[in-house]
Amino acid sequence: MARPFDVRRLPGFGVVALATFVLLYLPILVLVVFSFNAGTSQSQWEGFSLQWYAAAFANQQVQDVSIRSLWLAGVAAGVATALAVPAALATTRVSRFPGQTMIYALINQPLMVPEIVTGIALLICVAWVKVNTGYTGMGYLVAAHTAFCIPFAYLPIRARLETLDPTLERAAADLYASPVQAFRYITLPLLVPGIAAGFMLGFVISLDTVVITEFVKSAGQDTLPTYMLGQLRRIITPEMNAIATLFLALSLVFVTAFFLITRKRG
Amino acid sequence: MKRTLISTLALIAASATAAQADGVLNIYNWGNYTSPELIEQFTRDTGIQVTITDFDSNDTALARVRQGGHGFDIVVPTHSYVQTWIQEGLLQPLDPAIVTDRNNIAPQWRDVDFDPGREYTVPWQWGTTGILVNTSVYHGDINTADIVLNPPPELDGRINVIPEMSDVMAIAIYAAGGDSVCTTDMDVLRRARDTLMAAKPHWLSIDYGTIDNYAAGDILAGIYWNGASMRARLQNADLAYGYPATGYPVWMDNAAVLADAQNPENAMIFINYILQPEHAAMLSNFARYANGITGSEEFMDEGMRNAPEIVIPAELVSAGRFSPACPQDVQEIRTQIWTELLQ
Repeated sequence: MARPFDVRRLPGFGVVALATFVLLYLPILVLVVFSFNAGTSQSQWEGFSLQWYAAAFANQQVQDVSIRSLWLAGVAAGVATALAVPAALATTRVSRFPGQTMIYALINQPLMVPEIVTGIALLICVAWVKVNTGYTGMGYLVAAHTAFCIPFAYLPIRARLETLDPTLERAAADLYASPVQAFRYITLPLLVPGIAAGFMLGFVISLDTVVITEFVKSAGQDTLPTYMLGQLRRIITPEMNAIATLFLALSLVFVTAFFLITRKRG
Repeated sequence: MKRTLISTLALIAASATAAQADGVLNIYNWGNYTSPELIEQFTRDTGIQVTITDFDSNDTALARVRQGGHGFDIVVPTHSYVQTWIQEGLLQPLDPAIVTDRNNIAPQWRDVDFDPGREYTVPWQWGTTGILVNTSVYHGDINTADIVLNPPPELDGRINVIPEMSDVMAIAIYAAGGDSVCTTDMDVLRRARDTLMAAKPHWLSIDYGTIDNYAAGDILAGIYWNGASMRARLQNADLAYGYPATGYPVWMDNAAVLADAQNPENAMIFINYILQPEHAAMLSNFARYANGITGSEEFMDEGMRNAPEIVIPAELVSAGRFSPACPQDVQEIRTQIWTELLQ
């Protein structure tokens, strides 16, 4: 009997897999290692030290931009998730309607459009609004980040909804639950892992965004990524590695939580 | 108790009005380029609250300000972009009633091509691109482009050139007898091209971040920036920074007030503030480049005051030239040569 097809037995699979992992993770590993360097070098090891972490924590500007980044990511991911839940319900818990695919594509548009295109489009619109209203607060960044966080929040919620047994809701209806009650006591609790996953994905994506922020930010609105980008022209010290490592750790926490939540109930 | 409350309220009211009267200033500058100590002192001296927002390239800054609604008051473009900023009407002339100390600008930077008479801009920081060479191996003249363009045998295969077209082309064109980086003289361009192509086999790499390699002696010579060269020399005293006598590129970032600034008066106050030698020195002590203000040397850090990477030998000052932005057709020829070199 022929063995069933197994991709892992394809010739060269191990080599390609190994090369992929090395290329993906070795540079990050090097970055992390040199964040503990005692010297100012990015390539010559001069002993272990936590001085760059101390420098990063003592740097007022780093603190400001980090807090702004976290705040922005929290708000944007929160609003995006709140919008993604009804969007996911409206595209799965209904009989098919004309234009459904189109709506699906529209919601996920930020995934397809290159960031630079969105960035320039936002630059033009936001500048126009700023000139005409005089408002230069964080609202623009929140709106922009929310917009491109929506698909990242939407997809896990929708995936969760598609695996939910619709008969549960029908059973609730049979027991005289109003649609609101059925949603509140049946659908929503079952949806929580999807919502949490969506929020965390959105949070991490917002935290990483450079291009859109660069074009939309007003005076004094640098986020951590745009701050780090701004350092490039100067000599980069391991302080940047230390900051990057801290944010990498934060991203890892979120991704791990995402993984655990989706696995537990999935 | 009641009295405490009233006095507290009065205090809050007083501080609120003070902040209102003094206002704010929004600076749009390269990242990690604005001395935090200077900003703190400026706020102490004037009561003006400052925000700093970073940009990562001249093009990003230009694109954002062109659209309007940016909310910035001061921008710090590089010399080759200043004419574009002025011609597009994005800057406003400096107010002579507030910016009274333009005479503090060192004479050589006072009447520059990109802003004749310093009507719109003042120097922020400036630097050079030159030749860094390890003198434990090379004993000849350090002020020559030949070290890289026609390398002696002891440096063969141990040379690095930064992958910056404008810097490398400028040094090659000057060495080939051109007097402008935007020269249309085909003979000069051909000589520059032939020299570069003939030199390339003797190079090790065309790469950025090489301070460590210079310090360790893996790279013995190359075209490099003065700021990075100073950091390399601090790690390895054998390294010396030379200024090609045939000509070398100079760059300067300049502070200017935006035409649609919301706080133009505060911006003018800041411009005049950084024209003071002790304040200009604070910029240098942070960014580690020269500032172009007469008398700032005495306020600079010990290591910078006499650094050969910052203090250009008098006889070589005139060989330093600003590279303007070249017209499109010239730029195409330069790009062709550069592409051929990188292949």
